[in-house]
Amino acid sequence: MLATLVDTQALAQTVLAAVLGGVGVTLIFSIAILGAARFADLNRDGRNAAAVASALVAFVALAAFAAAIAFGIIVMTSK
Amino acid sequence: MTDQDVILAIVVATALAFDFTNGFHDTANVVATSISTRAMSPRLAVGFAAILNFVGAFISLEVAATVAQDVVEADAITPTIVFAGLIGAITWNVITWYYGMPSSSSHALIGGVVGSTLVAAGADSVLGDGIVGKVLIPAVVAPIVAFVVGGVAIVVCYRVVGRQRPGPVARGFRLGQIVSGGLLALAHGTNDAQKTMGVITLALIANGNLAAGSDPPVWVVVSAALAIALGTYSGGWRIIRTMGMRIIKMDPAQGFSAQGAGAAVILASSHFGYPLSTTQVIAGAVMGAGAGKRLSAVRWGVAGNIVVAWLLTFPAAAAIGAVTYGVTHAFGSGALGPVVVTAAGVALVALAFTRRMRQGAPVPAR
Repeated sequence: MLATLVDTQALAQTVLAAVLGGVGVTLIFSIAILGAARFADLNRDGRNAAAVASALVAFVALAAFAAAIAFGIIVMTSK
Repeated sequence: MTDQDVILAIVVATALAFDFTNGFHDTANVVATSISTRAMSPRLAVGFAAILNFVGAFISLEVAATVAQDVVEADAITPTIVFAGLIGAITWNVITWYYGMPSSSSHALIGGVVGSTLVAAGADSVLGDGIVGKVLIPAVVAPIVAFVVGGVAIVVCYRVVGRQRPGPVARGFRLGQIVSGGLLALAHGTNDAQKTMGVITLALIANGNLAAGSDPPVWVVVSAALAIALGTYSGGWRIIRTMGMRIIKMDPAQGFSAQGAGAAVILASSHFGYPLSTTQVIAGAVMGAGAGKRLSAVRWGVAGNIVVAWLLTFPAAAAIGAVTYGVTHAFGSGALGPVVVTAAGVALVALAFTRRMRQGAPVPAR
């Protein structure tokens, strides 16, 4: 009965997109903050190689964060 | 100018007024988390949200199509029916604003139109399947999904950054909230402005200016975008306090998670044309982000009051819409009814606003 009223596929896709988008974006941004925070600590301790690696993690995560948002907006505007 | 043209002009003006009150009413939903975590000053947050509300109104038309085509039978609708529905929604918005309750403008709008249609054209003209499938079920699912996503996101976030020094982490998430808050404002603009576009389109179809199934004309999109942005800029400080301070006290990571969850749910739903309540979704995400940290962090009593306001919204707006149609119809089928009701409505809104201002100016969240 309910299945005839609701487009379950569209609803499931909405839920999946929301879960992936909401949790994924938070995860990626948290990794960026982790990288930046560790970079600051390691740099202060003079551990340059590890600091550079952390900075790289932060940079890649930030780029992924920006890409995820751009992707979301493009998907929105493309329908 | 015929009577029908006068009624259509009143409907368009009323719809844009509703859009303004929608922005005014929902400002709090969009900016409360940024303000309560001190990611942005209230003035900056509200200005930023207004601009992104305006931009958001242009990115999709799926929700407008749902409101114009899937809620009531367009062939049975007259501009007067749409007018009565709008008055039902605006009245309920003003009542809930007066008492500082963040109810759903969207459900008020759809409830108002359904109520006036029921009285004017009968139950056959209300598309029950569309209302259940595209409005009511998403209305139940969306806040639950937002709650779960907000809760999972904050748990993931604490897992990742939990062992870092709190100062830099808080600063990072405050910066992130500029983006997540912007996304939320964009999402709000696209879902909520489209409801007004849908209603104006419905009135234009009812008046014979557009063919059934048409998309909103450009002037409708631009004027709806402007109205919601101006309403948002005007703000609703009373509700900002409720949303930002009374449900939970948030740290910047929770604010970021809640805004990200809310934006993800609203944008995904807008893409599939679900006209959901941005208020419900954002409150769900805020509660999820609070509960993910500690269940007792959520002030469940306040959350319960908000749920009661939501439950009342659809039937209350429908009842007001139905009564408004009856009053309007009592003046005949010409423009006199809408003119009289509009004048009475403006007087009542002015009275409510004056009384509320006298009782104490709205208090910005700190």
